[in-house]
Amino acid sequence: MLAILQRELVAILRTRKAFVLQFGLALCFLGLIALRWPTDNRVELSGARSGQLFRLFSYGMLAAVAMLAPIFPATSIVMERRKGTLALLLNTPLRPYRIYAGKLFAVLGFIALLLLITLPAAAACYAMGGISLTKQLLVVYGLLGVVAWQYSSLGLLVSSIARTADGAVRVTYGCVLMLAVITLVPYFFMQDWGGNTSVTTSWVRCLSPIPAMMELVGHGAIGSTTAWTGVSATTRFLLSAILMSTVFSGITIVRLQHHLLDQARSQGMITDDSGLAVRTARRAFFIIDPRRRSGNIGNWTNPVMAKEFRSRRFGRSHWMLRLVGGCAILSLFLAFTVTTGTVQWDLETVGGPLVLLQVALMVIFMPSLAAGLISSERENGAWPLLRTTPLSGGRIVRGKLISVGWTMLLMLAATLPGYAVMVYIQPTLWLQVVNALVCLLLTGLAAMMLSGAVGCWFSRTAAATTAAYVVVVGLFGGTLMIWLARDAPFGFQTVETALKLNPMAAALAVFNVPGFQTYNLIPASWWIAGIIIVVCFGVMRMRVQSLMRSL
Amino acid sequence: MSSEDPSSDIPVIELKNLSKQYGEFVALDSLSLSVYRGQILGFIGPNGAGKTTTIKIMVGLAKPTSGTARIAGADCARDSARIKRLVGYMPDGFGSYDNMRVREYLDFFGAAFGIPRRDRIRRIAEVLEITNSTYMQDRYVESLSHGMQQRVGIARTLLHDPEVLIFDEPANGLDPQARIEMRELLLRLASTGKTLIVTSHILPELSRICDQVAIITQGRLRASGSLDEIMKNIRQRRTIEVQLPAGEDVSAAEQKLREHLQATEAVVVSSAEAVLRFDTTRTDKQLRQLLATLITSGVPISQFRELQTDLEDAFMSILQQQDVATTATETSV
Repeated sequence: MLAILQRELVAILRTRKAFVLQFGLALCFLGLIALRWPTDNRVELSGARSGQLFRLFSYGMLAAVAMLAPIFPATSIVMERRKGTLALLLNTPLRPYRIYAGKLFAVLGFIALLLLITLPAAAACYAMGGISLTKQLLVVYGLLGVVAWQYSSLGLLVSSIARTADGAVRVTYGCVLMLAVITLVPYFFMQDWGGNTSVTTSWVRCLSPIPAMMELVGHGAIGSTTAWTGVSATTRFLLSAILMSTVFSGITIVRLQHHLLDQARSQGMITDDSGLAVRTARRAFFIIDPRRRSGNIGNWTNPVMAKEFRSRRFGRSHWMLRLVGGCAILSLFLAFTVTTGTVQWDLETVGGPLVLLQVALMVIFMPSLAAGLISSERENGAWPLLRTTPLSGGRIVRGKLISVGWTMLLMLAATLPGYAVMVYIQPTLWLQVVNALVCLLLTGLAAMMLSGAVGCWFSRTAAATTAAYVVVVGLFGGTLMIWLARDAPFGFQTVETALKLNPMAAALAVFNVPGFQTYNLIPASWWIAGIIIVVCFGVMRMRVQSLMRSL
Repeated sequence: MSSEDPSSDIPVIELKNLSKQYGEFVALDSLSLSVYRGQILGFIGPNGAGKTTTIKIMVGLAKPTSGTARIAGADCARDSARIKRLVGYMPDGFGSYDNMRVREYLDFFGAAFGIPRRDRIRRIAEVLEITNSTYMQDRYVESLSHGMQQRVGIARTLLHDPEVLIFDEPANGLDPQARIEMRELLLRLASTGKTLIVTSHILPELSRICDQVAIITQGRLRASGSLDEIMKNIRQRRTIEVQLPAGEDVSAAEQKLREHLQATEAVVVSSAEAVLRFDTTRTDKQLRQLLATLITSGVPISQFRELQTDLEDAFMSILQQQDVATTATETSV
């Protein structure tokens, strides 16, 4: 086990990615402390300033761990399998649990190193006074450790199942977002329903580390369930996280056997060649059957766009239709709950969850679809082949972006029924809905272009996808972190400026979502998003042109 | 084996003083070469010799530092649009896409070359037929065996009906049966009037299909011409094998042999086989004298014979000549 631990940890620490992460994190927290360090020699006995800083520090650390912990484990096993080194490992006398432990502890070692880097910032918070070492600071670090364990074991599990490294990154981040954010949604809607529903949703909510962290940093009163259940959010989270991590680890260890490599090649079954019963059943189930014999690319179709749709497992039409169908049902459900009075909201308030739903979808899918547009070609050796075709750099970029753009528009269109119901019931909302849709369109385009522009600098899809996730979540989540610390430590102007970078915030402000209604973000937010989109397109276009050029 | 078209005295592929430098490193050094229509050129060289660099320049993926490369009159560096139409290129790596079936894969590249839909459908069927790949048209490309992928790769290069086909290591990693099929396929393509450039490490494969051979080492062309011409050249230098009764005699025998050989007569020692081999231009009479001298000086010789030369030997002989020349230069310096 030590041999694997050493090899994995050294391999992680040797990467440029690890250095950038460590350096970036240290710089971030250094800046944060420097910003709020007392400049006069008066002692603040209330500890309010350190409390504000500690909250921001803790949320920032949680976001950093949630984003960084899955990076390495998500690609760890799948990369070894594709390179063939997993077969070598399984042929050694090492037992699967030792291989697994080596990999897991290497990642946890790296996260521990990251947490160590933040210790000076934590010490500075503590030195400012008003924070308990044992009841707050140490518990926060303990919580972060458990989060790292949970998401690392999740990443390793996904890595043992996934077929490609970028697919593993995509699914892992999707699961992390599901566990950390989506689990909060049912409670948000159903907390007042009472009975078993409230109890269940309050438990589901605690699968996310956010309520536990809120409790630890003194935001516990917001949505806390401690009073009536007797079990704190922190305890619930710790219990669920430890249980999940154990289950994830168990399944991964069981999967780490030779049968992981003993899989038959696909024989390329085609529905058209199957019997009538199979054909009918599959067409009824899929609407667009992925196993049908596809038609040839049309004369006026961009071939790169068609190729992108065909070569992406998720990008195939049946997946798109499933996604759109799911979103449409959800948006109609939201509109229905409001109109039937199930939830005591104003009609416009339902726009908030719709916006969040769409942005969550875009943040999950855009980096995974757009980041690998160029890097996947380079990684699988198809780039030189593309260069030997008469396709120009511009046509390649356009084809690739259109393929992602269509997917984004489908996501956007998926919640239109919900908005349509809103406008039908209250026609005066049409301007708000149009404004929000413009914001969402810009959000999608910005997420797509940022991912594409970041991803095209990498030659490995997994690295490109990870970097794109960090940048996109950094933009949409980072600005919300500043919003979370509104009034203290950040002032109104700072928060408004930060939110202008985030078109999602503008959409939330359009629907007067609590906490956003005071900010005037339109049209500045649109202009900024437009500039981001144009600049990113320019960067991507230039990069592709330089890659097309003969050296 | 296809033959040179006597009516055509203009080469389809013409490389003149082609040089390529990456910083201080010289990848190609004044390479000049001509290939005529319908010929198969075997491009041979050890790893890092400059074969792939030459090919990249020919298909427009790299630019030469100096010199020119022309294919059917089009400059490879300046007229990339024409070159893309004229050349079909299969690199060493396959370049596959996940979740794509063979037919979809070919359809994409056909569309990328701007072949109209109706013609493309017909053309895909043709190239699948030529490469005996029709049965795998619904298989996913990433699930194909290496040999199958190579055939699909060749089918892809044929889609736009190029004049020149360039295959980088097409037989690499193939089993004997697949190699035979590959060989037959290349000969079939040459018989349709295509000009082929094939690189390979498997030299016996090349010797069976190539009209022309170019041997390149350290970026320089060491020998080129028809296989017969190269062999004739090589045969001026004979390879003599001295078989000893036991491996322990080898070092003493080598020492005595070197005393009677000149610096240009390179000796290769194989202790495991108890064999000494050397290249020489000596006549039979001179060799008889050498044998007598060795026996007189106490070298225990069980066999003394001349080796038959094939492409592999020619290649090795050229490599040895180069080694000797390098050593001589270093010594003089």
